[in-house]
Amino acid sequence: MPDPTILILASLADGDKHGYAIMEDIQVFAGIRLGPGTLYGAIRRLEERGWIRAAKSESRRQPYRITAEGSQHLKEQLALLGQVVRTGNRRMREA
Amino acid sequence: MRTLIRWAARLYPATWRNRYAAEFDALLDDISPSLGDLCDVLGDVLRVRATTSLDACLVWAAVSPMTLRLPVVLSLTGHALMITLVLLTAVGYVTPMPLHVVVAPLPPPTPDPPPQVTDARVFPNALTLYSSLPLMPAQGDTLSLYVADGVGINFLSLPDIGATYRRGNAEWRVWPGQALEGLIVRRVLPEYPRGTNTRGAVSVFVEYLVTRDGSVKVLRTSGPARFTSAARSAIERWVYRPLEYENRPCEVVSRVEVRFDSEVAQSGLSR
Repeated sequence: MPDPTILILASLADGDKHGYAIMEDIQVFAGIRLGPGTLYGAIRRLEERGWIRAAKSESRRQPYRITAEGSQHLKEQLALLGQVVRTGNRRMREA
Repeated sequence: MRTLIRWAARLYPATWRNRYAAEFDALLDDISPSLGDLCDVLGDVLRVRATTSLDACLVWAAVSPMTLRLPVVLSLTGHALMITLVLLTAVGYVTPMPLHVVVAPLPPPTPDPPPQVTDARVFPNALTLYSSLPLMPAQGDTLSLYVADGVGINFLSLPDIGATYRRGNAEWRVWPGQALEGLIVRRVLPEYPRGTNTRGAVSVFVEYLVTRDGSVKVLRTSGPARFTSAARSAIERWVYRPLEYENRPCEVVSRVEVRFDSEVAQSGLSR
């Protein structure tokens, strides 16, 4: 399974989402269902690293927003992942 | 299952619960939790607990270094001591204490060596020479008269020891001189013959018979005439107690070497 933190950052890339919305979004675009423990474990690590932060909300459902550092980290990881994907696809064609 | 997960969520540290408990509870309301979700939560609880404990220790150490300094120093010292002992034991500087002390029995005391029966007055340095022990004075004579300087008796190793010789009606048994020592009543040492020009040691060999009454009769001699004569005249004055073999009186033949030493005799005569 890919790193849950990357999946969450990718999910937050197009806007703020709370926990359940993140779970649903990841399941849609990645086909992976994160468990509640895994989800909030990753959210805690992302907050500690400053890559996401809690957005203002009056609801019990706390939305999260990706930070600039989080966006930069996501770009780097996607670029690396894209390179891996391109290299793998090229080698698969050449094989 | 939702209730179980809520109970499991109570295992999170208080800081986690204060921060995420409300939205986590809302998440549980939105989903249909499964057994896998329960395991997922429990696994994350363990991760958070471990991480939080380590972080707490590090934060505590940073705030109060003295709090951890003493235990760390004690731990490092103890480990270093144990490692040092193990290394010293491995290279043999420390001998492990045996579990059972085995006390070997002491060997029996070594008996004293048998005394060398040598008359130092005759041949001080010749241990093989048996002289005149027990030396008994002749009848009417003093002891010194029969102790001759420079003369010694040597009991020979007899090749026919125990043999029996028959001479007419007589039956002679060959016994070594040592076996007769306990039966001797009187012994007279030969005197160094005066007027001889011989230098050094002279040995004569005498074969003698101990008769039934204990008196001695010389059978054969070998050696210079003056020395054999001196030996014969002395040995024939020896007296033994009457001998018995298998509770019967018997006669015994034995042989001795009589050795004369001129240098010792001269020093004795000059005294």
